[in-house]
Amino acid sequence: MSTVRFDDLIHAPTRLGIVSLLAASQWADFKFIRDSLGLSDSALSKQLTILEEAGYVQSAKGSSASVPAPQPGSPLPGTPRSNDTSRRSRKLSPAPA
Amino acid sequence: MNEHLRPEEAAQALTEIRQRQQQVIDLAVLPTWYWWAIGALTVILAAGVDTNTPAAIGTTVAVFVLGILAATGWALAGTLRHAQLRDGLVDRRGVAAILGFVALTVGITLGLAFALRATSVSYPATLAAVVGGLGMGIGGPILMRRLHRIMLANRAGSPR
Repeated sequence: MSTVRFDDLIHAPTRLGIVSLLAASQWADFKFIRDSLGLSDSALSKQLTILEEAGYVQSAKGSSASVPAPQPGSPLPGTPRSNDTSRRSRKLSPAPA
Repeated sequence: MNEHLRPEEAAQALTEIRQRQQQVIDLAVLPTWYWWAIGALTVILAAGVDTNTPAAIGTTVAVFVLGILAATGWALAGTLRHAQLRDGLVDRRGVAAILGFVALTVGITLGLAFALRATSVSYPATLAAVVGGLGMGIGGPILMRRLHRIMLANRAGSPR
């Protein structure tokens, strides 16, 4: 049985912004996230790498990123869903729920 | 893990989450000009049908099809190129609103066109399409606002 708890990893403002944008999306492209948050390419890449390694985000070919979609009305994610970094595919697809 | 998040920090985080989700949802709202463009194209098509000559029908059908493709492509370009909304944001209420809008617009336009033709009014399809086009221009943005509200309500973390 999983325990819901607060995760500092996504409370950092930039990472919270990224995850929040992706929470309403099947996928979003790198440029949209970068421009929405006013980040540089390198700053966003760094944050995406951290989120990807924690299993919150899956990046794919075409500089897009996606995140498992929470169910409507469900609590926001509090813990990483996976530590599997092998899904760093270059192909665009949502991370499995 | 920080187990002692202060209430003001939590409130700030929730505000950030809602604003960012709204940024994505805003992408999906079709602009007002789109609905007027579709209405105008419908009137052009109907005018071609009313003239009842092959050249006019061929021309207006071509304008209608190309116009629909161009307007829809232009309107959706921003959404489809940058992000795709997750499933479940438009629920049954949203689908019902879309179907209701389509049924109302088509029903009124066709009903009026047949009624006008039955009373031998000139250009019945064109006149009915003008009414239908006005309905699209006025009703389309209303439908978008309704769908926007529904999607915001279905965001993750929203109260049900």
